[in-house]
Amino acid sequence: MNTITLIARKEGGELLLSGRGLAWLLALSVIMSVLSLLLVSNTELSLLDNAQVVYMVMGTVTALGALLAVVLGSDAVAGERERGSLMPLLLAPVTPSQIVFGKMGGQIAGWLVMYLLSLPYVWAVGSSGQNLIQAVTYLALFGTPVVLGFGFLGIALSARLRSVRSALLTSLITLMLLASPLLLGPSLRQSTIGQLFDAVNPFSAAVNTFDSVVIDSQPLVMQLTRLSIALVWLVLTAVFAIRSVRKMEI
Amino acid sequence: MLIEICKLKLNLGTHTVLQDVNLTLEKSQIYGLLGPNGAGKSTTISVITGLRSLTGGSVRVLGLDPVADSLQLHNRIGVLAEQAGFYDWMSASDYLRWVASLYQIRPDQAEIAQLLSRVGLEGQSPAPIATYSRGMRQRLGLARALINQPELLILDEPTNGLDPRGRREIHDVLLDLSVNHGVGILLCTHLLDDVDRLCTRIGIIAQGRTLLEGSIADLLSAQRAAVRYRLRVESGDVTQRIPDDITLLARAGDWWHVEIASHIEPASAWRKLLDAGIRIDEIHREGGGLEELYLSVTEAKEVSR
Repeated sequence: MNTITLIARKEGGELLLSGRGLAWLLALSVIMSVLSLLLVSNTELSLLDNAQVVYMVMGTVTALGALLAVVLGSDAVAGERERGSLMPLLLAPVTPSQIVFGKMGGQIAGWLVMYLLSLPYVWAVGSSGQNLIQAVTYLALFGTPVVLGFGFLGIALSARLRSVRSALLTSLITLMLLASPLLLGPSLRQSTIGQLFDAVNPFSAAVNTFDSVVIDSQPLVMQLTRLSIALVWLVLTAVFAIRSVRKMEI
Repeated sequence: MLIEICKLKLNLGTHTVLQDVNLTLEKSQIYGLLGPNGAGKSTTISVITGLRSLTGGSVRVLGLDPVADSLQLHNRIGVLAEQAGFYDWMSASDYLRWVASLYQIRPDQAEIAQLLSRVGLEGQSPAPIATYSRGMRQRLGLARALINQPELLILDEPTNGLDPRGRREIHDVLLDLSVNHGVGILLCTHLLDDVDRLCTRIGIIAQGRTLLEGSIADLLSAQRAAVRYRLRVESGDVTQRIPDDITLLARAGDWWHVEIASHIEPASAWRKLLDAGIRIDEIHREGGGLEELYLSVTEAKEVSR
């Protein structure tokens, strides 16, 4: 078994079998249950159409995934440093890249469980519509690079800032900034700054794709630019994380 | 030569942390790295293990460059850092098996049990590490450092938190590794008793600079430091009869704390006491010359600041 897999298995086991991981899954189930109940009620009352409801669930799952990723990423290096378990890892024959990708392996496991857990809710709110398959596919295709990018960002900040609290605070501010288009009104989003921000923002790329695919039924070829934004985000944050772990001070 | 450090210099930003640190450690040798808090001992270890790049001088460990050849080096050394952290939810045996796998080693259950037994943790393996006392964590840290059968062992305060029996057991393990397996050991500690029992060579650093380095026997003989003893003598007011070469530091009942001048042998001093009519029932050496040596060197550095 290679080193990345060894670290990833340890990270995944720690996340999914610990009280913290189970509490997160329980919280996610409660949030998704309440949200789905509200959205289904709105659909029944014809206040929202089915596609809009599916789009909102997809955005929520992506946001919650990104939140989990920054929490885990912020703890990945700084948390180990504070608990004294980072030094033995650095003194083992392990490269910084192996540490980063191993830790991401744990986050991938967390995101995979979240994604699988969200499928029944997507089905519950979208089973009567036309775009259920697209919703499930695009949530995986766009949600994964955006969520994992936030994980890499958390790891990078965790290595540079040396404290879990500082890394978590900075990661959360970044997440809120990138997710802010969801909170901006239509007029602000139509302004030049709003459009420019949307054009380079991976979170916007994912959410706008969900909108285009599920509500407007556009094909994949029209989403390639947005997909490339999400993938560039993933690659840039991965490089940032590796450089940060390589250069971090003991 | 396992470690060869010559005129090591390290700057962190604009601040010079280490300057002119020198250290040589050979196979089968136990080297005591001594110095006051903040002297630069742990920073020196971080350079030796390749976690920091040096600014000047040269460092070779097992013939390798610690930074450029760090993976190769880490495969051949074992380190017990000052802050020994673990994954508390794992058991000791699961943890050691996981660490071993990072070195591409697959120890079986018997080998893990043998390693745990060697550091005095036999019968503890099913319990999670979270339940371990400080001393048990220190022992587990030593087991972790030994998992890859290292040629060089670097230990930062290895007997911290251990009771006297535990300290003795760890001393025995280290002596066995050094004498019977040829392992070189760099021991970084504040406990001069550990150094006195284990080391043949020491280096004293203060303010990031090596003040003294060499074999303990040579350094003590060169220093010719005064040595302190605790004596149990016959009752009575006989202090006026103490010879000039012997200084009475304190007295508690029959027990005297004395210091013998460096220019006379202890046997001659006892003879002088006996000749003065003072009967000695017991003699205990206190602190030893190493303590005096350490204090004199580090105090001289403090005065020169």
